[in-house]
Amino acid sequence: MIYLDYAATTPVDDEVLDTFIKVSKNYMANPNSLHKLGVKAKELIDASTAQVAKILHVKESEIIYTSGASEANNTAIKGICLKYQNRGKHIITTKLEHSSVTGAIAYLQTQGYDVDFVELDSYGRVDLDNLKSLIREDTILVSIASVNSEVGIIQPIEEIANILKEYPKVYFHTDITQSVGKINFDLTNVDLASFSAQKIYGIKGVGCLIKKESIKIEPLIHGGKSTTIYRSGTPATALIVSLAKALRLIYEKKESNYNYVANLNSYLYQKLKDCKNIHINSNEYCSPYIFNFSIPGIKPETMLHALEMDDIFISTQTACSSNTKSLAVYELFHEEKYANSTIRVSLSHLTTKEELDIFIDKLLSNIERLLVFNEGR
Amino acid sequence: MKVVKITAIWCSACLIMNKIWKQILEKYDIETIELDLDMDMEEVDNYKPGDILPVFIFLDNEKEIKRITGEVKYDDLVKILEELGFSEKNS
Repeated sequence: MIYLDYAATTPVDDEVLDTFIKVSKNYMANPNSLHKLGVKAKELIDASTAQVAKILHVKESEIIYTSGASEANNTAIKGICLKYQNRGKHIITTKLEHSSVTGAIAYLQTQGYDVDFVELDSYGRVDLDNLKSLIREDTILVSIASVNSEVGIIQPIEEIANILKEYPKVYFHTDITQSVGKINFDLTNVDLASFSAQKIYGIKGVGCLIKKESIKIEPLIHGGKSTTIYRSGTPATALIVSLAKALRLIYEKKESNYNYVANLNSYLYQKLKDCKNIHINSNEYCSPYIFNFSIPGIKPETMLHALEMDDIFISTQTACSSNTKSLAVYELFHEEKYANSTIRVSLSHLTTKEELDIFIDKLLSNIERLLVFNEGR
Repeated sequence: MKVVKITAIWCSACLIMNKIWKQILEKYDIETIELDLDMDMEEVDNYKPGDILPVFIFLDNEKEIKRITGEVKYDDLVKILEELGFSEKNS
């Protein structure tokens, strides 16, 4: 099997799974119980939280565990907007966000919030002057992902955060799901950041929202204190500890993984850039972990299933929206032919050059076969 | 005449057009049936929405007379409405 869909999810690291199993067996008590078994579980969670905080350079009190990045995004966006609705109801975002960001904002739009989309440059990066011009008296939230999950565009998060620092009533949320453990970022001036463990070889079902200590949010799930007051529910000790473990393991090799994957990305680019039927959508401002291209004339799902026959697994766009057009690719090129034929290959330190060679070979032969088939119809 | 408006919660163009359509409804009296691509699948299928969202389908006695897809500027939408015979509430 050749798996090239690591931006959708990653396989669980053996060490992470081992930790999860051991903690599930040995720390079964409710961490909020007062007896010694509960205290032991709570101590383990606290140690994990300290580890997460140290790695991401934030405070322990700023970490809120969730079921994943979608819940973290929803908690951040709805939490801020509901808490500070008396200050204003204006939100700024981009057209490149994950569906859990756009969806949360769409819900708020139905509740009377006003939404503006910041303009992007030809590389898909936020136009900072346009961002400044959109900020109003009643703006309360700006939500911009650090890395777009379809094409991999890296946004200048630090520059955006510096601009927004001048507007103390505007909170800045960033989805760092595709950046954590991969791309450098600085959360110093970021108010809220979300990610999940399943993108960093952790277990599905756990994520994290980092929220600056001074900011209050309205919880999505009410029910009193868990690990924090902002997300109720019995703390999932084993999932939390496994998240910390996954984070530690990925950060230990972050630089070497990045260099390795950047080389793979460059290899893929060199091999595909001159193919006349391929239009490469990713650019020099994109994460090397994501390589997005279009094959005009071939439906992406047709190519996906053709490659699947050869045991190769890629993605047509993000796994989280249900139409066939790539919104991100459309935003970049404003061409239906590219947006309707998008393939996303996402790479990992586990990917080998040999796997890419097989993928390239099968991709090119399938393009030839499918275009001839389409012409004959 | 009525309009069937098909959107999806994850679609940024839909959020933009929601805002514009709200402005339109302040000026024009248009019966609008709102459908969500994912939540109202059966009904949406009847209209074959295609790949580009949102979709505005103008129906006259249940017969489709005009279809608009994707982002459309407010002024362009007004032109289309006037061509279709809609007039402003106060005029």
